Amino acid sequence: MKKMSTLFALLVAFSLVLAACGSGGTAVQDEFSALAEFEGLKLDAGSCDYGGKVLSIEAVDELTVVFTLCKPDPAFEAKIAFTPFGIQPQEHLARTGGSGELLENPIGTGPYMVAEWDRGNQIVYTRFDDYWGEAGAASTVTLRWLTEGAARLQELQAGTADYVSNLSPSDYATVQNDPNLQILYHQNPNVFYIGFTNTASPYDNVDVRRAIALGIDYQRIVDNFYPDGSEVASHFTPCAIPNGCEGESWYEFDAEAGRALLAEAGYPDGFTTRLYYRDVFRVYLPEPARVATEIQAQLQENLGITVEVVPMESGEFIAASTSGELTDGMHLLGWGADYPHVTNFMDFHFGANNPQFGNAHAEIYGPLQEASSIADVATAAPLYAEANNMVKELVPLIPVAHGAAAHAALASLQGAYYPPFGAPQFNFLDNGTDSIVFVQNAEPISLDCADETDGESLTACQQVVETLLEYGKDSGATFPELATSCESNADSTVWTCHLRDGVKFHDGSDFDADDVVASWARGLDASNPYHVGNTGSFDYYGYLWDSFMNVPAE
Amino acid sequence: MTTNIEAVVPAPADALRSRSLAALTWRRLFKQRNAIVGMAILLFLTLVAIFAPLLAPYDPVQSLLGIETLKEREAPCIHMLGCPEDKPQHIMGIDANYRDVFSRIIYGTRVSLFIGFSTIGMAVVVGAVIGAVSGYLGGWVDNLIMRLMDVVLAFPSFLLAIAIITVIGRGLQNALYAIAIVNIPVFARLVRASVLSIKEQEFVSASRALGASNLRLLFVRIFPNALPTLVVQATLSIAAAILEAAALSFLGLGAQPPTPEWGTMLGSERNQVFTAPHLVFFPGLAIMLTVLAFNLLGDGVRDAMDPRLAQVAKK
Repeated sequence: MKKMSTLFALLVAFSLVLAACGSGGTAVQDEFSALAEFEGLKLDAGSCDYGGKVLSIEAVDELTVVFTLCKPDPAFEAKIAFTPFGIQPQEHLARTGGSGELLENPIGTGPYMVAEWDRGNQIVYTRFDDYWGEAGAASTVTLRWLTEGAARLQELQAGTADYVSNLSPSDYATVQNDPNLQILYHQNPNVFYIGFTNTASPYDNVDVRRAIALGIDYQRIVDNFYPDGSEVASHFTPCAIPNGCEGESWYEFDAEAGRALLAEAGYPDGFTTRLYYRDVFRVYLPEPARVATEIQAQLQENLGITVEVVPMESGEFIAASTSGELTDGMHLLGWGADYPHVTNFMDFHFGANNPQFGNAHAEIYGPLQEASSIADVATAAPLYAEANNMVKELVPLIPVAHGAAAHAALASLQGAYYPPFGAPQFNFLDNGTDSIVFVQNAEPISLDCADETDGESLTACQQVVETLLEYGKDSGATFPELATSCESNADSTVWTCHLRDGVKFHDGSDFDADDVVASWARGLDASNPYHVGNTGSFDYYGYLWDSFMNVPAE
Repeated sequence: MTTNIEAVVPAPADALRSRSLAALTWRRLFKQRNAIVGMAILLFLTLVAIFAPLLAPYDPVQSLLGIETLKEREAPCIHMLGCPEDKPQHIMGIDANYRDVFSRIIYGTRVSLFIGFSTIGMAVVVGAVIGAVSGYLGGWVDNLIMRLMDVVLAFPSFLLAIAIITVIGRGLQNALYAIAIVNIPVFARLVRASVLSIKEQEFVSASRALGASNLRLLFVRIFPNALPTLVVQATLSIAAAILEAAALSFLGLGAQPPTPEWGTMLGSERNQVFTAPHLVFFPGLAIMLTVLAFNLLGDGVRDAMDPRLAQVAKK
């Protein structure tokens, strides 16, 4: 009997082992079959004839994506860390059709999810508990907006906001002297410049442009109209950007030399012109009307040029200035770095196809084109020096200042910071309660940031949608985010990104390589059914990667 | 008992005055305290405007950077009130572009008075001609003109002014045109109503019977009798016009920098109410005083020209 029971026990045990082995075997088999069956998405331009930088993006397995470029791009890693290149689940893109609900309800992998967007009032985020990284301290974050700097500061002083962005320069001292508040300086590289369109008189005369460059007291502008930490621009690109300051420094203020040059150009008594600007706060130009009035006064006083200042509606001004339509005057504009690379400043402004300054100068864009495919900073340096020298020589614009900005938070808010690139992540902020209020200067346009360019929208998106790499808290260096690493081949034309395992989207679905390809394809491929967005312009895809794929013939 | 004939029979001069509406109006006007206050303020503002170059200590558009050591939006410095003697005196402070606010306020008086008189002047001339022609000719001409005026009046005047500026472009000159245009219907209707009633009166018929031409009838016989109401309305409208121009400039649609215009000054520093209140207080005060002066004067002129009110005052 005992033997029988032992035999029975052995049989049972053997059956269990077999069952276990069987199920395990099935699991392994499934995994193998999945690997064998994984047919990742691939975005393929077919050739580089379309003019863009990206040849193909392919999901080679669930956690590996390969980007093949048409030519080396030394700024590849810096670019893919930019918020518009955030990843959303392909199923969500398909379900929303690339627009509609997607504009207000993005689904990402970030530390916070959008709970509600009360248009005109606020966006409420809730913490994503399955977040792969450092979870947020507060379970709820409210993003609000107030256009007036004074009103934002009042919110902070009243304790109804924990963090407010973009302090007015006149409020710096107030914040610094208030023990309940902390000031957060912002070091985003930027430049404020005076632009000319060289297709009409008198700005078709390089001596007139040079004379104006000599007739402006830059130091006086920076000292009196910019906050602490700002500096006179010695080059168009800030020196914080590698290769930005190669070549000769900009002209020193010399009114007498300016007047002489203007007389040589045929304008001994000056002339009458216009100065266009938009009255919108920007870090590079915190108080546009004041600076415009100051430049107006300086040009009258130093060069005898009578200037009519013309404020324009923001959108109208951007459209007119960047398309080179403001031919009867100068325009005040600037640039804040999107990603930490000199190409972001130089190539955009001085490229062969940019009509903003009239006829492009081959003397400038020639060396830039050559430099844009050189990854090594030192090797590219002489080319950037040559380009900078030609900018000084030909004066398509006058770089004036690199502005500093500051934000403010309650002193009790732990972890408050503002990175040089992008916006602060709410999950690093902790006020000791379950709720944080962040107030910025404008309402986001939409939360489909693949198709937005304004900083206010990108700040809102950044909490929800993540990119393959991310910028550091205190520098433009890139760090792993959804990709654990991105490696290139020898000539930097093939980039292989290994994705983070176990990441979940807010809808509970798993993140994989197909989501990466689907998200990029939506922005980059003009024929993609989900290439719809808010306006459909997908500016950063077209601009940073040179062109869209499959653009329909007009 | 003797009767003082002089007390009963008016002296020739008095009799003459009693026949002159203008003289009567002046006399009534000077009896009204509010009107006198209005006139006094207006006289003061006019003198300030005329003698602005003598009164203003600084050039209103010149930045004082490099000339004096200043802070942006510096508070008023008045030596009598304890401001150190070694600091330059700026009794209304310094603005965001390092200019003397007092000098800008003084020169702003010129701009504001010019705006008030020029806009209403334009509106009165055009409106009066339109109204007179419309009322005198009647018929389809009257119908057409008045319907056009109704269309203009159907829009809120300030919104219409903004719409006009949107079309013709911003700037002080265009703002003046816009304000004048939106005020034309008021005067046109007023003059038309007067002409309609006056043209039926006997002295007009008599003139017509004596062979007076239409133009003579309209502009020599009828129109002068419509003037009193026009003057009252014009005086009151100047205040509104100054306010509208200031509002347009506040919105950036009127006077452009560096013109020292009160509305522009107010608009450019509207965010500094708490940090630099002097930059909004003084332009605001200047606008308030000017508008108040015209309103007080306008009310006084209306009361002085209205015989019914004069009767009430006598009782």
